[in-house]
Amino acid sequence: MGVSAGGIAPLQGVDAGQSPAREPVIVSKNLTIGYKLHRERKLLTALKDINLTIYKGEFVCLLGPSGCGKTTFINAISGLVPPWEGSIEVDGRPVTGPGPDRGMVFQDYALMPWRTVESNVRMPFEFQDLKLSKAQIDERVARYLELVELTGFEKSFPYELSGGMKQRVGIARALATEPKILLADEPFAAIDAMTREAMQSELERFVTKTRQTVVFITHSIDEAITLGDRIVVISRRPGRIKEVIDVNLPRPRFDQELKSLPEYAEIREHIWRLVKDEALSGAHGDD
Amino acid sequence: MAKIDSNASGSKGAFDDADRIRSMKFSLTDMLDRYGPVWVTVVNLTCFFIIWELFARSGAINQIFLPTASGMFGTMFEGLTNSAPPTAAYSGQIIDHLTYTLRNLSIGLVIACVIGIPAGLLMGGNKYIETILGPYVWALASLPRIALVPLFILFMGFTVKMQITIIVLSAVFPIIINAWAGVKTTEKSLIAAAKVFGAKERDIYLHVVFPYTLPFIISGVQQGIGRGLIGVVIAEIFGGSMGLGFLINRAADTFNSELMYAVLMLLVIVSLSLIKLTSTIEKRVAPWRQQLKM
Repeated sequence: MGVSAGGIAPLQGVDAGQSPAREPVIVSKNLTIGYKLHRERKLLTALKDINLTIYKGEFVCLLGPSGCGKTTFINAISGLVPPWEGSIEVDGRPVTGPGPDRGMVFQDYALMPWRTVESNVRMPFEFQDLKLSKAQIDERVARYLELVELTGFEKSFPYELSGGMKQRVGIARALATEPKILLADEPFAAIDAMTREAMQSELERFVTKTRQTVVFITHSIDEAITLGDRIVVISRRPGRIKEVIDVNLPRPRFDQELKSLPEYAEIREHIWRLVKDEALSGAHGDD
Repeated sequence: MAKIDSNASGSKGAFDDADRIRSMKFSLTDMLDRYGPVWVTVVNLTCFFIIWELFARSGAINQIFLPTASGMFGTMFEGLTNSAPPTAAYSGQIIDHLTYTLRNLSIGLVIACVIGIPAGLLMGGNKYIETILGPYVWALASLPRIALVPLFILFMGFTVKMQITIIVLSAVFPIIINAWAGVKTTEKSLIAAAKVFGAKERDIYLHVVFPYTLPFIISGVQQGIGRGLIGVVIAEIFGGSMGLGFLINRAADTFNSELMYAVLMLLVIVSLSLIKLTSTIEKRVAPWRQQLKM
């Protein structure tokens, strides 16, 4: 399990108090991944020896400096990048490629600019056969557009929408196939601060409704604490797990004065101490 | 909202409105916004032709070199409407030369698209094809096509075939290079998104790379039209017995400056209309690109 390297777990201890009923969904064992740097003829290790188990219905935030391999980890779960060493399993099977059981939200939205909002949300149903009738797909698309409050914008093109609205299309697209796992790669990083808070609370609402397992990348400590059940702190490249922190704050978190709770300050202080050196030395982050 | 508005219009509203109205002043930009660039252009061009007319009539420049605007338009109108037999004065058959040139240009452009679009897409999609074809494409693209005209005349003589070959060679490279660049610059995150949502290799080309490349292809064709028009005029000037290029040459030989200017004006009109046509198509096909350009 994701026991931290040398970290003394301050709160409840890593993995302490878990009920035996918890069902593992994503299991990463000694996962090491990197990239080929063609120009320099080098292999670059992005992630090293990641051991982490993510359980059903859990909201896990990956927190770390730019270029620490967070995206690589999520790409490994989605099946975009194969492991070099070790293994990554979803539902007990090794990941060999993308599948409808995993949906993803991208930092730059990654909406097809030539498709309408509705057509973007429909895209996953066109590329993979989910054994749904045309009417069922229509209903799904309409339902998830309604969930993200974009009813009435079906025929709009992405360039006609604001950043927040674009990302809501991205979220609807990821949720519409009703995947077990929702992967999110800094989805709110490019969205202005006020909209971001609203989007965070909406995301909490969506996944509470759908009971999905969420793996969420962020480089914001506050975002990690307000959203995550557990926070995985990753070190600078090559990325290793520094510590896994449980966040036992009550939900729904956006209904309360979360930031005034003493626990909040305590976790924040602890994480800040963990990432301070990383963040300061990471001023030259290349990601 | 509504409540605030009604409050404002109650006590202080009138004052606010007065302020707003007072702040409006008419400036040149307001006129532009109001009457639109179209009317400004109409006025602008009318002034241009009037000044031209007056200048030509003043006799400052010999009319052999600079005809009057009215004379030019008269010749153009007569040449486009008068269907005199080809044996009559050359000014009587601009329309025949125009259709000849446009026909060859269209044939050449269609051939250039049929060759250029698949070639560019393949080069962008397959790095082996790219490596093999790349040097030839760059070499031929950078060679001034006029330099090839004597060679083609040697090969094919003063034929339509020679002219069309030159048009194709002029137009095909911008099309190839744009299609190629479109494929190469397809946003990685769009491809990643398509993959995550189940797209296979074929889906990615069909549903991501191709739609992304389409506007590039259109602007390639747009550049191809410009180059093709140069090609066709050069081919006709060098060796031909028909077409607008030939007509320019003949007009110069016979000191018929009104005809010469009429043909030049027609070339401008043809070129602008074709470019307008492709940008209209682009707006239709890829409205999202318009936004990126602004």
